[in-house]
Amino acid sequence: MHRWRLAPVGVVAGAALATTLALTLSAGATTNKGYKIFFLPKTTTIPVFTQNAKGAKAAAKELGDSVTYNGPTDVSGPKQVPFIDSAARQGYNGIVISTPDANAVAPALKRAMAKGVKVVSYDADTAPDSRTIFVAPSSNKLIGALEVQWAFDETGGKGEIAILSATPTSPNQNTWIKFMKQELAKPKYKNMKLVKIAYGNDEPTESAKQTQALVQAYPKLKAIIAPTTVGIQAAAQELQQEGKCGKIQLTGLGLPNDMRKYVKAGCANKFGLWDEQALGYLATYVVHNVIAGKLTGKLGQSFTAGHLGKFTVAVSDGNKPVVVLGPPLAFTPQNIDKYHF
Amino acid sequence: MKAAQAIAVRLLARWETLLVVAIVGAGIWSTTLSPFFLQRANLLDLLTPYIFIGLMAFGLAFVVIAGEIDISIVSNMAASVVCFAQLYAAGVNVWLAALIGLGVATVLGLVNGALVSLLELPSLAITLGTLAAYSGLAYVILSGEGVASFPAGYSKIGGGYIGKELPIALLVVIALALVLGLVLHATRFGRYVFTIGSNREAARFSGIPVARVRMTVFAVSGLMAGFAGVVYVGYFGSARADAGTGSLLDVVTAVVLGGVDIFGGAGSMLGVFLALILVAELRNGMQLANIQGDTQDIVIGGLLLAAIIAGNLLRAVQGGRIRVGPLRLARREVVEHEATEAIIASKLAPENLKGR
Amino acid sequence: MSPSLRGITPQTLAAAVLRLREFGILLALGAAVAFFTIRAPNFDSVGNWQGIAQNVAIVIVVGVGETLVVLTRNIDLSVGSIVGLTAYLSAATFAHYSGAPLPVVALIAVAIGLCLGLANGLLVAVAKVPAIIATLATLAIYRGIDVQITGGGNITAYELPDRFLKLASTKPAGVPTLAWVAAGVAVVGAAAVRWAPWSRDLYAIGSNPEAARFAGIPVGRRVITAFALSGALAGLGGFLWASRFPTVDAVAAKGFELDVITAVVIGGVNVFGGSGTMLGVALGALLVATIQNGFTLLRISEFWRLFFNGFAIVVAVTIDALVTRRLQEALRRRRAEALAARHLEAGA
Repeated sequence: MHRWRLAPVGVVAGAALATTLALTLSAGATTNKGYKIFFLPKTTTIPVFTQNAKGAKAAAKELGDSVTYNGPTDVSGPKQVPFIDSAARQGYNGIVISTPDANAVAPALKRAMAKGVKVVSYDADTAPDSRTIFVAPSSNKLIGALEVQWAFDETGGKGEIAILSATPTSPNQNTWIKFMKQELAKPKYKNMKLVKIAYGNDEPTESAKQTQALVQAYPKLKAIIAPTTVGIQAAAQELQQEGKCGKIQLTGLGLPNDMRKYVKAGCANKFGLWDEQALGYLATYVVHNVIAGKLTGKLGQSFTAGHLGKFTVAVSDGNKPVVVLGPPLAFTPQNIDKYHF
Repeated sequence: MKAAQAIAVRLLARWETLLVVAIVGAGIWSTTLSPFFLQRANLLDLLTPYIFIGLMAFGLAFVVIAGEIDISIVSNMAASVVCFAQLYAAGVNVWLAALIGLGVATVLGLVNGALVSLLELPSLAITLGTLAAYSGLAYVILSGEGVASFPAGYSKIGGGYIGKELPIALLVVIALALVLGLVLHATRFGRYVFTIGSNREAARFSGIPVARVRMTVFAVSGLMAGFAGVVYVGYFGSARADAGTGSLLDVVTAVVLGGVDIFGGAGSMLGVFLALILVAELRNGMQLANIQGDTQDIVIGGLLLAAIIAGNLLRAVQGGRIRVGPLRLARREVVEHEATEAIIASKLAPENLKGR
Repeated sequence: MSPSLRGITPQTLAAAVLRLREFGILLALGAAVAFFTIRAPNFDSVGNWQGIAQNVAIVIVVGVGETLVVLTRNIDLSVGSIVGLTAYLSAATFAHYSGAPLPVVALIAVAIGLCLGLANGLLVAVAKVPAIIATLATLAIYRGIDVQITGGGNITAYELPDRFLKLASTKPAGVPTLAWVAAGVAVVGAAAVRWAPWSRDLYAIGSNPEAARFAGIPVGRRVITAFALSGALAGLGGFLWASRFPTVDAVAAKGFELDVITAVVIGGVNVFGGSGTMLGVALGALLVATIQNGFTLLRISEFWRLFFNGFAIVVAVTIDALVTRRLQEALRRRRAEALAARHLEAGA
């Protein structure tokens, strides 16, 4: 027998094993006595979620829990599903999730709940029957209304305005836009006209192209509302390049760090956001209390979330049960240097 | 003895064998990574989240073997999913709606096929266009947040289990793989697909209805996108215009890792199926060990390279020489100068291959 | 090929234009421009054309490199990831050393891109991994490295020096700087492909790898060079990207390879190797950008816009293919007729 003929297979298998073992070393999970919490963002590649995770880890340290922060590299509900199933299989006590596709993750979350895993959604809600509590950054109605008010303040309440959103399917943005339209219907805004809703797909390139097109197609445009952190900074950059700062006002939701440059250059004078670290921190406190059985989702229950203080489970925008972080922060040239996230 | 040896050597030389070795290797690795990997429920459930990708890969395999490419396949799935969802939301029986969804997907595939085959246009360029067009169509049909809450009876195809552990979707994918494998490897149509992919001119001279087969191949790709949509909606319970976003790369990975020659003319259904298992298994193992998503991507990319290079080395050693040509996934190159010239001159060649 | 000087008449000139491989794309581009000028408000304004030039610039820079690879019957899918990675590294360099000279950072980006491209080339030419698989893998690997380097964070415009940001916002002679760079790269690329001896090898390799090898062309070395250049240009693209989109995170330029390949394919480069021109690629990129821009300006629903974008690409490809085929047939017939006439004369 020519046994050497089988040697290559051995070589390949051996090589595979060696790589294997080398890689195994990178995957060590420490366990402690506290709860094991799986923190699942829309994607790990976008900075706001890294902020959430920072807050979550700070909270877990205070609570003696351990947080695993992991998620897909694409923004996709279906790609979150394997993470949910895996967390349930590994016996995590709780999952904290922000999802771009509320329905797509619901069956997996229900499977996890059936295995005794407690689920809390934050930032972007899932289907109500697939989580115990939703941790909202703020009231959606308030966010929508505030953005319109900021645009009103900046333009003097006159002229054409446009919205630069994320993708046409983003649930958060769609909800806010709905409330923006409600707010715009009030008599106070009768001189402001919403001429276009554009979608930048949360990509800098597409957002910039859309801003460019808005500027060209609507010469009388007075303001752009961009309720997305990616969109607002791409729009700011584009307006600056086109020399339109001051002529077209920009408002919406943005991170102070992303926007600092444009605020100083006078390209955005008023926009808002909540403290993303605080949001992750709060969500972790909520899931801890749910696992401990102190929160069951009954309205009126209250708890203390570390340095953030006391919160109550309530109804928000007709959605329940919800814990709301608070009204969004508004950033202006005067206060922006106080914020570093 | 000699015969047994010959068989062993032939088996070793097969791409599928290498995939099986890799699957076993990845299984051992995953076992060391996580104690949860070897649980029966986990093993059975391994493929479920990736079945819609596998179904599209099966369809794409036909197109690629015929020497073409269909980049629009994921958009096609999205378009058929939203058609189905809108019909269902409008009160049409869910099964009838699903059937119509399959029909829509097939028609969209046929449109690609007609443009490519009747007008002799390059398939890469055409499907790059229909990639955008079908995605737009999906948004036109169903903009915004989409349809949810499908009847439980329907959701079973994608997300149901027999005896709590055996996913029904697994049976669906195995059944379809078998049927498609038979069509590809045991019918005259399948033989035509291979022949056209190897050498279209020769196929034409030998009397094969080239145009018809090429159109059919795109229709199969469309149909499978439709099936993928059916399973997708069943498993995820969500029907939106952006269904399947970001999956194109996974679909192409399954096809090329499955040993389908990107230049056409070679490949097997079994290979694609094994590649799907391999990727799903690795993802699952790393998932259970909480390895970061980006590290997972790097490992899968590395695996893709390692698999091909290992194959090359294997053949080099077997051939008793160090230097070998590219791994012959039975890839043939047009050697005859005149033939190439003829192809270029008649502008028959520009289609083929590749995608994102 | 080109008509001799004394033979220039309006007829030969017209014939030369018709013989241009890019005639079909030009026709499609002309049709698109005419349509949008009539239908879309402000389409023909200077500002809008500046915008289109801005959008198309980085696609052309990277597209020139991609073309070199495609000419050899290969493909480079990893360019999006290379652009993303070098964009982040360029931005990070400025964030840490705000005084770093622009050309030095540009060179660093190009060098990193070159190394990544070189790795692609080695995988394809030495390890004999089919290009689509090799670069599909490095697409994932380079992006994964990018995510790990960023650690899920970003570099913001505030951290970058103004002189770097000005690169994207200034418009010497009314044309954005980025477009000047793109034009420069395209001209150099076209010249190289036209006159450099090694670049003619690329066409030979793409037309027939076996024959090229028999003819003594160092196939492996040329393929590696093509990939390395593609990587280097993607590196330059990354540097420009960071200036144009100065808040850089791990998703920068994700999926950008699709834009590049669309431009290359629409530009008439044969994905089966062996034919294609830089002028075609530039026109292809311009055509796609024009279509996208035009439909954005038309006041139609966002959703129909997406559909029409794709539909217009299909139409453009069809026009191009049909026109080119017609012209080639006509030329061949005319040449045959001329030949027959000469034979007749000789006979008489």
